[in-house]
Amino acid sequence: MTLMEAIAARSDELAQKWAELILGTYPKQTQAVWRSNRDQFSNPVGHAILTSTSELMPLMLTWNDAQAVANSLGTLVKIRAVQDFSPAQALSFVFLLKKLLRQEFLPELSARGAVEELLSFETRVDNLATIAFDIYVAARDQVARMRVDEVKRAHTSIVRRANLMQKDVAAQKAE
Amino acid sequence: MSKMVKPDELLKTISYTPPAEGWMDLPVNTSPGNWAYPAKQDKVEYLMHEMPGIFANPRQWNPEDVDWKLPSNWKEIVVNGFRERLDKYRSLKLFMDICVRCGACADKCHFFIGSGDPKNMPVLRAELMRSIYRGEFTTAGKILGKLTGARVLEEDVLKEWFIYFYQCTECRRCSLYCPYGIDTAEVTMMARELLHLCGININWILEPVSNCNRTGNHLGIQPHAFKDIVEFMVDDIETITGKRVKCPLNEKGHEVLFITPSGDAFADPGIYTFMGYLMLFDAIGLDFTMSTYASEGGNFGLFTHADAMKSINGKMYAEANRLGCKWILGGECGHMWRVVNQYMDTMNGNMQGPQMKTPVNPITGTVFENAKQTKMVHIAEFTADLIKHGKLKFDKSRNANVVATFHDSCNTARGMGMFEEPRYVLKNVLDNFHEMPEGTIREQTFCCAGGSGLNTDEIMDIRMRGGLPRGNALKHVVDKHGVNTMACVCAIDRATLIPLADYWAPGVNITGLHELVANALVLDGEEERTMNLRQEPLPGFEEE
Repeated sequence: MTLMEAIAARSDELAQKWAELILGTYPKQTQAVWRSNRDQFSNPVGHAILTSTSELMPLMLTWNDAQAVANSLGTLVKIRAVQDFSPAQALSFVFLLKKLLRQEFLPELSARGAVEELLSFETRVDNLATIAFDIYVAARDQVARMRVDEVKRAHTSIVRRANLMQKDVAAQKAE
Repeated sequence: MSKMVKPDELLKTISYTPPAEGWMDLPVNTSPGNWAYPAKQDKVEYLMHEMPGIFANPRQWNPEDVDWKLPSNWKEIVVNGFRERLDKYRSLKLFMDICVRCGACADKCHFFIGSGDPKNMPVLRAELMRSIYRGEFTTAGKILGKLTGARVLEEDVLKEWFIYFYQCTECRRCSLYCPYGIDTAEVTMMARELLHLCGININWILEPVSNCNRTGNHLGIQPHAFKDIVEFMVDDIETITGKRVKCPLNEKGHEVLFITPSGDAFADPGIYTFMGYLMLFDAIGLDFTMSTYASEGGNFGLFTHADAMKSINGKMYAEANRLGCKWILGGECGHMWRVVNQYMDTMNGNMQGPQMKTPVNPITGTVFENAKQTKMVHIAEFTADLIKHGKLKFDKSRNANVVATFHDSCNTARGMGMFEEPRYVLKNVLDNFHEMPEGTIREQTFCCAGGSGLNTDEIMDIRMRGGLPRGNALKHVVDKHGVNTMACVCAIDRATLIPLADYWAPGVNITGLHELVANALVLDGEEERTMNLRQEPLPGFEEE
């Protein structure tokens, strides 16, 4: 069985284990609460972790739909982009997949001298990280833009009045 | 995003495992992004002069610094303030004593749901205060210390209070699920009062409080400027409808005083809701005036101190009396209605002049018995009553491109139990309406994460993670029903839901209820409308 076949055969289980590792990046009390509730609306983060990992595992195998990969990553990356994580911590969840794959497959692959299969699959994980990086940066850009836009919106009428006053002053000077 | 990790730390390893210590031993993170800017020194000085005994210690300080420049006797101040409040508010004493840590509230707070920070679990947030209560005021706690969950009041505890009691929007979703009805919002209020006594505060709250006290509204706008701004909206209504509507200011002898949050006058998109009110009043010929002093329904005193709230609220009756109005009609606001519904009668009921009467809708004759005490009617109730009696003409086709959902503001939902009226109004002015999922609306509504004075941009990250539950439910109806508009009846919502939707459910417009009402409302003698209140083309007029 090739590595790809092995991953395909255990896709659900691996997605679940990856999700567990991601949950492990949150405090213990939180893990307990998020693990026990799978509801999409009362536990959106837990739900996003499970959804992202279970969608991404098969996509990693077919690896032909960049948009689908980005969509599946999107919610989780956007969530972690505004949580109290440094950028490195926020995106570390992608590399947890490498950790998992090595843990699950490396001994067997080394034994039969087929480590390059893992290396080649890991390239996909690296690419996944760069896609996540794009989404993360776009999210941070958006937060910065929203801050500026909000300040502008808060004073719409005041600015409109100030601009008119400025025009009045300028007109008088011209006369 | 938290503080950047230094390269040499990254070289060692990316630490993604959270520390294993118990919550009491974890130092609080005071890096920027975790707090809103402290109040300006002159605002605190002004407020100390105007409202003695509430505020203290005006200075320049930075929460990122180790030294917060607290008064030398800060500990004594907090302990005495705590004792005073335990004696004054029986509710506080109960809330400190009766929690059995059942965990029902743990996953109900939007800040916890979005952040995963255990100190945002309502039980643990309250525990930040309870642990001090046990340590300072109970014998068992004094003797047994940590064994009873007690701890000593240290400067770090105060810092922790500042970070976490300003990550509570006082939305009261947690208390809905508490079998004892513990109101964590009131715990937050008490914590903030104690922090004020040491000069720990945020500018986004204190500047509006100080402006309100001086000019009547959050931005400190004076009467002449307020008049100009109202004129802009009257001009815009004329551009859209060809009709010049009235907006009397400070005129005596009208039946109704209309008060709305100043965000409706100054901020986009509140201005369209304001225009909506004026058009509604024109349609029914309401005998009303506005006041340039009671030019703010919002009351940031609620997020500050009971006495500050009382003081700011007083202008409503004072202006009703000065102008000789019989009752007050209130616009779309969240916390204004919490103050009106829960506290106004107790605080300032004695200020009601003899001319004030139980509100009666002059068009339909409906007596608003529910407003007998305060003499204040919510505009959604008022408009629903007008619609019920067939007094308004609508052309729903003008809202044909709107696929709407409704966000219940925490304060009007949990603070006054208003669920049906806004929905009834919405369904009468448009055809496409879809509820967000059960468990995220009505009394279980999720907060916009900007309430209680947290709608400032420097904590946008905190707001976004706190806004995730709302945004996630919104995204669901966007995907399922093509919702493109979220209506709400709160000025803070109208401001904060815009970035929230932008981030979590892009493509959704945020509108006030009366903006949609006025778009559909047919006025006598108006010209054919080709654009909505935002001066965007109406359906069928896109090409012109």
